Amino acid sequence: MKLRRNKLLAEPPAGASSDIAFILIVFFLVCASVQPEQGRPQEIPKTEEEPDKQEKNKNPEVELTRTVVILNGDPLKDKSFEPRLNSLLADKQNPGDRVVMLKSRKDVSYERWILFTGLIEKAGGIVTLQLEEEQVQVVN
Amino acid sequence: MKIPKRRFEASVPSMAMGDIAFLLLIFFVILAKAQDDSHLRWEPAADEQLEQAKNYKASVVIDVKNKTYLNGRPIAQAQLEGALGELLGDTEPTKRTVLLKVHKDATVLQFEPVIEAVSKSGGEIHHVLEQERK
Repeated sequence: MKLRRNKLLAEPPAGASSDIAFILIVFFLVCASVQPEQGRPQEIPKTEEEPDKQEKNKNPEVELTRTVVILNGDPLKDKSFEPRLNSLLADKQNPGDRVVMLKSRKDVSYERWILFTGLIEKAGGIVTLQLEEEQVQVVN
Repeated sequence: MKIPKRRFEASVPSMAMGDIAFLLLIFFVILAKAQDDSHLRWEPAADEQLEQAKNYKASVVIDVKNKTYLNGRPIAQAQLEGALGELLGDTEPTKRTVLLKVHKDATVLQFEPVIEAVSKSGGEIHHVLEQERK
């Protein structure tokens, strides 16, 4: 007499697969969305076509080059810029007086620019970019 | 004599669930990739005090090759102002943040027009930086 063997069907439990997949979705979405977006907000005032001459004279002017920083026409070393600007802005309470005109040479790196705009903001200044106007020359 | 009723079990076929979920997963990943700029190469500049960006609408990247990208797609700097204007639309002022991811060695020639474009389109600039190591 032959004995019948029980055929055991080994099937993975499929009931939990939807839960596993849902958790996978959540995991991937969280991984995708968590990117460090830390940094520094910067408010740049709207540019005026022709700045008021009086105001232009009153506000500190910073010219940034690759090697030096020029504050109101005086070339300074990087280290002495912060105390000089602090003393310039110390007695100015009006936000309009705290505007600092920043002009940067074309070869200045972003890293250097961020450093000095950070120092200006730390001193309580409001950075205003002085951009070079595009000049159109008509050749006859 | 009572005849017992046959009970028919009506169950939802759960075998296909895994496949459906997998397709959903692919769908979401592709959707997330459309606005992603993680494939771009750039090194952030450093600063001491950093803030987390909130409610940003767009991100502009200047990569190591000085190319400009808006939400991960290359764009000419001349078209940036218009494209940002369309993206920002009539969004309320607190939600008009534009992330600026500029490679630390990029020069004024490359990043100043971008800052100007963001400013003119009414966006609020948020420079993405890394923590300065002391």
